[in-house]
Amino acid sequence: MARTVLDAAPALPALFARAALTARGRGGELPDTRLARTGVAVDPAALADYAQVCRFPLGDALPLTFPHVLAFPLQVALMTDRAFPLALPGLVHVRNLIEADRPIGVGEQLDLEVWAERFAPHARGATVDLCASVSAGGAEVWRSRSTYLARGASAPEGAPASDVDVEVGALDRPAAQWRVPDDAGRRYAKVSGDVNPIHLSGLTAKAFGFKRAIAHGMWVKARALAALSGRLPDAVAVDVAFRKPLFLPSTVTLSTEQAGGGWDLAVRNVKSGTEHLIGTVRPA
Amino acid sequence: MAAQTRKAAIVGGNRIPFARSNGAYARASNQDMLTATLDGLVARFGLQGEQVGEVVAGAVLKHARDFNLTREAVLGSRLSAATPAYDVQQACGTGLEAAVLVANKIALGQIESGIAGGTDTTSDAPVAVNEDLRRVLMEVNRAKTVQQRLKALAGLRPGQLAPEIPRNAEPRTGLAMGDHAAITAAEWEIGRQEQDELTVRSHQALAAAYDRGFFDDLVTPFLGLSRDANLRPDTSGEKLAKLKPVFGQGEGATMTAGNSTPLTDGASAVLLASDEWAAEHDLPVLAHLVDAQTAAVDYVHGGEGLLMAPAYAVPVLLARNGLSLQDFDFYEVHEAFASTVLATLKAWESPAFCKEKLGLDAPLGSIDRSKLNVNGSSLAAGHPFAATGGRIVATLAKLLHEAGPGKRGLISICAAGGQGVVAILES
Repeated sequence: MARTVLDAAPALPALFARAALTARGRGGELPDTRLARTGVAVDPAALADYAQVCRFPLGDALPLTFPHVLAFPLQVALMTDRAFPLALPGLVHVRNLIEADRPIGVGEQLDLEVWAERFAPHARGATVDLCASVSAGGAEVWRSRSTYLARGASAPEGAPASDVDVEVGALDRPAAQWRVPDDAGRRYAKVSGDVNPIHLSGLTAKAFGFKRAIAHGMWVKARALAALSGRLPDAVAVDVAFRKPLFLPSTVTLSTEQAGGGWDLAVRNVKSGTEHLIGTVRPA
Repeated sequence: MAAQTRKAAIVGGNRIPFARSNGAYARASNQDMLTATLDGLVARFGLQGEQVGEVVAGAVLKHARDFNLTREAVLGSRLSAATPAYDVQQACGTGLEAAVLVANKIALGQIESGIAGGTDTTSDAPVAVNEDLRRVLMEVNRAKTVQQRLKALAGLRPGQLAPEIPRNAEPRTGLAMGDHAAITAAEWEIGRQEQDELTVRSHQALAAAYDRGFFDDLVTPFLGLSRDANLRPDTSGEKLAKLKPVFGQGEGATMTAGNSTPLTDGASAVLLASDEWAAEHDLPVLAHLVDAQTAAVDYVHGGEGLLMAPAYAVPVLLARNGLSLQDFDFYEVHEAFASTVLATLKAWESPAFCKEKLGLDAPLGSIDRSKLNVNGSSLAAGHPFAATGGRIVATLAKLLHEAGPGKRGLISICAAGGQGVVAILES
């Protein structure tokens, strides 16, 4: 296993540009590489911006989804490396699992490590998991698994099948309604660095086969968790499946239901009922 | 209704360190700070998921979006969502008034427990559209036809784009609170040196209280701050003497940025309960809220100082409780400005003021200054308007508890609009 420690977060716009230019001719197996950063301090202004866009209260603990924003540039660097078998443009985030052992304080120094695993066959292609581990004071406190679908790709022969399903209850009572504006993708891109063109404008989304810009899955997840502020266990696992794209602008509903000592969640279009996100929140 | 009333117990408090304006909490909203403060209180007293009788809090500078600020903070906190809440606002008296309201409902048996609090930010203050622009926009909103709408829009002028920024000034006099306090300081001949001395004592006492761990169970660190950002443990009379006056005019100006409280951000909360509730929850009773009084003065046309209302409220409270001004072990007189504290004390010592203004046969007399603001007050800690009452109530309750049973403390807080809120606590 090769582990590379980076001094700073890679610049995402350049990586996305490189990803587009080097999309063709990829293949083979997942690289056995890990990228890491050590002693990462959270920028309070960046945190305040993130909290505002996702509707988290600004407090002394990081929002549950915030470490993803710290680890994401490393994951993109990993995926844009020539050795990565799948082309980043066109990858669709289909599932995200976050497990936290305890809340992380704003002032804690964090060590990040990311890697890819589970290159798995899927009915519509292949999936790969981008994993992240966040440690504080030498002990792991937070980990995540982001599953991406590459349509039409093929996984190595004999690999166990992909698992992108999350089971939830009926969730037939909406708890809240959100009007998700036209610029929701641009706003989240600004605070997360995820400048994937499918989120930024109708025009750039069309170039990648979407009829309109789509909301970031991680923003939808973050906003759903923000709605449960004060009602989440300290040690928690949040597992969500991203179903149909949330086209911008849209009006959606959040449904919540107590289940298994935590919550089941669903985010759906207010009119059509199209499911954008379903997920579970469980004490860990 | 209960046949008899009972005294509400003060179980404890929590606050976040106070930050100077546009400092550590520049990006935190009132709701963020109040929620964090409530969650700190919840953590300290094991109230997770608990349905508290009522949460009462407020803010002086408030956005229109914060119409239900306290209830929203409760919903975002770890308290049970079935906890009712409401907002109050009595300028700098907000926090103490909230505690009095909670204590009164407990006294009447209407609730068994309650949280009183307050929050204020001058960094995330509401900015409104210019009043002229607002009128035009309302006119456009009322318009039913395109023609009416165009006519209304024709009233737009570039100058209307300048926003209305809240100012620390009295609406009826146009004077800043400091300017009002400077008038009172001159009237009562409060000298520069005694103001600076009071300021130094406040900083030293607050620093000493932090050093001996007094605030360990009263303050929860927030956004990188673990002590009040305004605290200057090493300040001195010489340092303060160098500052130029910022309020008042000419030779006689005595009030500086040092002996006046700075604009501050912060929040505080106090847990009150019946003795039974505290016992059931295995929680301590630090002190009881015995009684409270408000007063107001005509500072516009009546010739009284803007911040002198507590001087009027205290004798009423003393008389009702059969006490003299000297019957206290601790005095917590909110240090809006050093000169305000000194003018209030001087008024109580003045036979003329006590006779003519308060209608008393004899002056209330002096207090033992060694019992005044013994752990520092607003000059050192800062003064996020609505959060000051909660800071003082929790501090005094703990002081009384430390001193043992049967001790008594007086709280005196002046407020904008010529108002004052005062209260008695007893261990």
